[in-house]
Amino acid sequence: MAAIKGFGAYLPEQVLDNAALAAEFGVEPAWILQACGIETRRVAAPEETVVDMAEKAARACLERIGMEAGALGGIIVGTGTPHRQFPGVSASLQQRLGVVGIPAFDIHLASVGGFFALATAVELCERYGPILVVGAERMSQVMAREPRVKESAILFGDGAGACVVAPGEGPVTVLDIKMQSDGTFVDDLSMEFGSTLNMNGRTVILQANRKLRQSLTELLERNKLAATDVNLWLFHQANVNLLKQVGQALGIPEDRVFLNLPRYGNTSAASLFIAATEAQAEGRMNPGHAVMAAFGAGMGWGSALLRVQ
Amino acid sequence: MDIRAAVRKAIQDMAQAPLPADDSASLFTGGVIDSFGLMDLMTNLEEILGVKVPDSELMPSRFETVDKIVAYFQARK
Repeated sequence: MAAIKGFGAYLPEQVLDNAALAAEFGVEPAWILQACGIETRRVAAPEETVVDMAEKAARACLERIGMEAGALGGIIVGTGTPHRQFPGVSASLQQRLGVVGIPAFDIHLASVGGFFALATAVELCERYGPILVVGAERMSQVMAREPRVKESAILFGDGAGACVVAPGEGPVTVLDIKMQSDGTFVDDLSMEFGSTLNMNGRTVILQANRKLRQSLTELLERNKLAATDVNLWLFHQANVNLLKQVGQALGIPEDRVFLNLPRYGNTSAASLFIAATEAQAEGRMNPGHAVMAAFGAGMGWGSALLRVQ
Repeated sequence: MDIRAAVRKAIQDMAQAPLPADDSASLFTGGVIDSFGLMDLMTNLEEILGVKVPDSELMPSRFETVDKIVAYFQARK
């Protein structure tokens, strides 16, 4: 048994709206909104690194739960956009937090990296103690590579989210969690070193749709719950239409699906914890069951059942 | 069951644009269905035809035209 002690998030100040992107690509702002459902995204300042954002989210989380960094037993960072090949974001974050001797490592997975980091922390916290889990992405840096493609440039934003996972029960107890991967479609969502995003959108949507439905159906069946027994659904914020379709297929009431994608775009591995932080701040994380689910490159996916105190 | 008739009806039931007369025409470029529609179409055809499409075979290029969809399900009936 493990529990999430609390969440924290950081979003850069600079806002990129559809008007700016529309001017760059010679399209109407309405086309962008219709294509992806995103109104604005946050963009890191030129000197702001993925480590900076990870640190701010981590410190926000630690402050919220009243924990000193010295009490941590490990650090795991999920990211698809590390600032260098090695060592990872986690190593720099550990340096900044000044906590030596505990394991710190990255899970290098876009989009689903935050969720996999959480699932790994759930498995490790009994042995190592409270684990800081961070999802951080500087998507703007990799999306700036030429040639810019409007269909993908409009989708992403920067940000970071964090949580601390500790053994036992707590404010948000993790009752069940499972991660899965399927390398069959490894080339359908990929980014080579120094290159632009390669995304076969139709295949990604089909696979995400199928795999999220299966994962969530199995999660509910294992725990003998109906979709309507869950108060809050926290998804990786990837695509509004995808989340709506998955929700409809599973019979999830639409108002129980948390959505901040229109404000921040797809922040990849960071999105799940940014969503959780905001859901909690908005008073939507009420006592009862909540579900987290994510899907990303690899392909990797997973879901978790939470009990909120 | 006439698989071609079943496929054409399933597509027509959810088409966003007129179904082309030519069964070898792309359903995507013609705007008949998009990625989300294809997911629903596959789910419906699995149920109607009693054939489960494995994840590894669930790729748009296999199901881009009426002909390709019919051929796929005929081979597995």
